[in-house]
Amino acid sequence: MSRRYDSRTTIFSPEGRLYQVEYAQEAISMAGTAIGILSTEGVVLACEKKVTSKLLDNDGSAEKLYVISDNMICAVAGMTADASILVNNARVNAQSYLKTYNEEIPCEILIKRVCDVKQGYTQHGGLRPFGVSFLYAGYDDRYEFQLFTSNPSGNYSGWKATSIGANNSAAQTLLKKDYKDELTLKEACELAIKVLSKTMDSSNLNSDKLEFATLSLSKTTPGKVIHKIWGESDIDALIKESGVLDEKSQDDD
Amino acid sequence: MDIILGIKVQDGTIIATSKAATRGISVLKDSDDKTRVLNPHNLVAYTGESGDTVQFAEYVQANVQLYTMRENDIELSPKATASFVRNQLATSIRSRKPYQVNVLIAGYDTKTDTPTLNWIDYLGTQVELPYGAHGYAGFYATSLLDKHYRKDMKVEQGLELLQLCLKELETRMPIDFKGVYIKVVDKDGIKALN
Amino acid sequence: MNTIANKFTHANSSSVLNEINAVQSEFASGHQLELAPSIQVPPISQPTDFLRAHTDDASNPDCKIKIAHGTTTLAFRFKEGIVVAVDSRATAGNWIASQTVNKVIRINPFLLGTMAGGAADCQYWETWLGTQCRLHELREKERISVAAASKILGNLVYEYKGMGLSMGTMVCGYTKKEGPTIYYVDSDGTRLKGDIFCVGSGQTFAYGVLDSEYKWDLTVEEALYLGKRSILAATHRDAYSGGSINLYHVTETGWVYHGNHNVGDIFWDIKEKEQSFNNVDG
Repeated sequence: MSRRYDSRTTIFSPEGRLYQVEYAQEAISMAGTAIGILSTEGVVLACEKKVTSKLLDNDGSAEKLYVISDNMICAVAGMTADASILVNNARVNAQSYLKTYNEEIPCEILIKRVCDVKQGYTQHGGLRPFGVSFLYAGYDDRYEFQLFTSNPSGNYSGWKATSIGANNSAAQTLLKKDYKDELTLKEACELAIKVLSKTMDSSNLNSDKLEFATLSLSKTTPGKVIHKIWGESDIDALIKESGVLDEKSQDDD
Repeated sequence: MDIILGIKVQDGTIIATSKAATRGISVLKDSDDKTRVLNPHNLVAYTGESGDTVQFAEYVQANVQLYTMRENDIELSPKATASFVRNQLATSIRSRKPYQVNVLIAGYDTKTDTPTLNWIDYLGTQVELPYGAHGYAGFYATSLLDKHYRKDMKVEQGLELLQLCLKELETRMPIDFKGVYIKVVDKDGIKALN
Repeated sequence: MNTIANKFTHANSSSVLNEINAVQSEFASGHQLELAPSIQVPPISQPTDFLRAHTDDASNPDCKIKIAHGTTTLAFRFKEGIVVAVDSRATAGNWIASQTVNKVIRINPFLLGTMAGGAADCQYWETWLGTQCRLHELREKERISVAAASKILGNLVYEYKGMGLSMGTMVCGYTKKEGPTIYYVDSDGTRLKGDIFCVGSGQTFAYGVLDSEYKWDLTVEEALYLGKRSILAATHRDAYSGGSINLYHVTETGWVYHGNHNVGDIFWDIKEKEQSFNNVDG
């Protein structure tokens, strides 16, 4: 029945659904998990890296974390190739706003603009929707630290802690259980590790399988936003400190 | 020969614009308001080529108000407003038919509680100033402002200083500019005096 | 390619006609159906310069095209509505082209537009304004305000700014919401609301009489006389104004025409009655 309505993004099925958009969302729910947590001192984004091959020669830099502007970073779940188009679009938009207003773009305006592009592809004929969901971490003087997600339909929403990609419902349940409003950034990082360690299938967690980024305010220059995409050693240190490995080994016993 | 003057004080920004609308050798109107309200804390005052002035001011006004509507009643800050206007004029000057408009933007940043005065000319030059003017008014008023302006002045003292400038303009300007409209932008918004 | 080559050939560069031909053929060949709205532009590279070179007899007395320029028109608001008075002379250079021009354009039964500057420009665009006002009425089931009507004209002439339009007009009307209203609109894009306006080469003479005797509480009869008298003053001193005077009174129920008064006839009557114009014998 639904076959006739599968191949067109622009056509509703008799039940009032857009299958191509739903399929895109389905594809994302199988991609590597990404979680984001808001804390009092900043935002943390963490992603699961699916290792494809030992022979793959990459420079160790993050694949799913991107800097959008001086006050925003994002994590990706879904098709990386599609993501890079949207990330580029977001970067151009952020610079264009900065050029006309001489101020950093407020997070929500940027997200709205990216989502307008995504929405366009669910409606205009002959095109495939973008197969990506985003987690955005940002700071602006309107609402200070913020965490948003957006999906292929072009919808977006703001969160205190959330997750996209594989096992996102499990991750969200864990987050709901352990999230507290007065979390410090360090506690938020540890919570992220803890949640990822439980939702990922691999047994021993290490920097090969994780990407990590934080957004916080400079302690020396007021109002300056610092974003840091973590290196391997930092990630390994955090894993060690968080104690998830000990828990794991206990579980194994 | 239009007069536009702006003075920034500690708790607000004052704008004065002449009331005469002159074409050739006739004063067509003695109650012309050369300002437009951009949003509750931003006021633009303009001079320049007739026709261009109002068209440009209303274009900017429409865009700033559109921003407010799109962003859930969040106002564009004075700094952002000035940058936007500068950008429009800088684009315009390189077009086939540039807007020949000079503006002063009086603003009050409600986030940081600071008044601002931005001076922008038709070439796209933008500066933030304690006091400023466009046209002939500046030749008479700036020396007085240089002499009497103090950083710690309040609106009341600013208005006194403005009166001093206006008195000089009335005695020395070769044509009657029919008095001025005075407006103040402060934390409570824009209000018209007189 | 040829058209572009021609443009840069020395043999042709002196002639303006060649330029027009070249650009026109470019237009003709590139003509296609366009969906985007556009405005018609004169087929010359610098319309302003072109027009000045061929029509401005102040800078070039030998210019071939003499545009009808000299005029006196006025309109003022008072307690009982608006009085509109205009002269009727059309001059092209020093040649009096006509003594019986109608310089008040009846946009619709409630709106009048006056004409100063280029006669064709005013006539064409104010009639066009009439169609826009009718469309507004059909769409909104309500008469257009004077503010809106004048803004349509103001925005239109602004689009053509710098391309040679020459208009100085008053849009006069009476609506429930606004009362008697006058807007001055000219071809550089100025649009002003006001109580008293005089436009044209004789404006200063008309202002002189009008300003000195104007009161808000004028009766209709007094107001019509003042309008007529002010134009008469202008026709007397301004060589480019003359012929006869057309008088209108705009009220809540629309405009009322108060006749055509030949300057040659009324001058002597008024001189006699007022004991004025003592610079003239007879």
